[in-house]
Amino acid sequence: MYLVADINVDICAQTSCKLCTQFCPEANTILYNDQAGKEKGYKYGAAYVAVDRCKGCAQCVWVCDNMAKHHAITMIMIDQLPKAAITDNVTYGEKSTTALLASPVVG
Amino acid sequence: MSLDYVKFSPGFEKFMPKEYRDMVEHGPFGKKVSVSQMGSFKEILEEHPMCAGCAMTLFIRLSMISFPNPEDTITVGTAGCGRLAISQAAIPFVYGNYGDQNGVASGLSRGLRLRFGDKPKDVVVMVGDGGMADIGFSATLHSWFRKEKFTTIMLDNEVYGNTGGQESGMTNRGAVLKMAPLGKKFEKMDMVGMAKIAGCAYVATVVPNNPRRVETVIKKAVLIAREVGPAYIQAYTSCNIEYAIPTDKVMEDAKNVEGDRYQFSEYITDDAKQYLAERYGYKEFLPKPAAAVTKA
Repeated sequence: MYLVADINVDICAQTSCKLCTQFCPEANTILYNDQAGKEKGYKYGAAYVAVDRCKGCAQCVWVCDNMAKHHAITMIMIDQLPKAAITDNVTYGEKSTTALLASPVVG
Repeated sequence: MSLDYVKFSPGFEKFMPKEYRDMVEHGPFGKKVSVSQMGSFKEILEEHPMCAGCAMTLFIRLSMISFPNPEDTITVGTAGCGRLAISQAAIPFVYGNYGDQNGVASGLSRGLRLRFGDKPKDVVVMVGDGGMADIGFSATLHSWFRKEKFTTIMLDNEVYGNTGGQESGMTNRGAVLKMAPLGKKFEKMDMVGMAKIAGCAYVATVVPNNPRRVETVIKKAVLIAREVGPAYIQAYTSCNIEYAIPTDKVMEDAKNVEGDRYQFSEYITDDAKQYLAERYGYKEFLPKPAAAVTKA
């Protein structure tokens, strides 16, 4: 098993910094959903990780902890994630994306 | 080299892979995208085989987003890590033989001008420090002296990262590497100084720990290279393998190096300032109003 980044929606949706997306070396890996957390009353939406593209470098964790100071991202073993976004389930919209969450582990 | 080249062939839409369909429908072609919109559109760069946490990849990703007209851009590269990512993008990539990338780009740039006239077609060279400052040094300097109009970007990781860690001309004095165990005995080459002497219209040094700054620098360089003269960007893109930087500390290292030897610097000739202000509305380069005459 290997580590991937996991973003806490409750913390992320209270901010709109998007720094993790801007510092991730992988393209289209940390994506942004402007509807995430709306049902809980949060304003901004939240970032999420397409785990099939995450290489586990944890740069986003350093950026979230030290630059944004939000502490919303942790590294987690991929089989410990009950549901996650993968590239095949991501739908692009006009200004945002949405993802159907599914178990990232096959079999 | 136009908006037409990222399209479905009629009848084949449903057979295309998801990444291709996303690129056609939600890619940046023909739109203005910026770093602040990252994460909400399909990027030109695709999955690539670069190492986890590579700062060079981050810089390449930011550059691809910053190109003013990606549909009219061709990238030129050579051997080295960078080409592994640059070639995985939805814009044409020309692989120059080691060292001749600025020669290839010179011909390409001139040919595109002959073929398309005034319609801007941007040529961007992106190569590592070894490919440019050591092996491609003569072609690079000569293209600048000839005032060839294209952008040259050095991805400076201060080592030959792809071949096991030999010292390059851009390695710092005293640096001990796997294949340079006694430490480098000479100073880092001053490519920025040489670019200015050779007559580049725009010269900048950046570190990718400030995405918006990378965006503005790339945009200015590519626009200036369209009509004014050669543009050169030197970017610090650490090699976390050869310099043993933990992947989660790559940005911390970038910040330290920026404070130490890679401060942001920008050199723009007066012609280029005037061109940016008049043609593209850069307010910071507009002539300042004459100071009010004060009565003595």
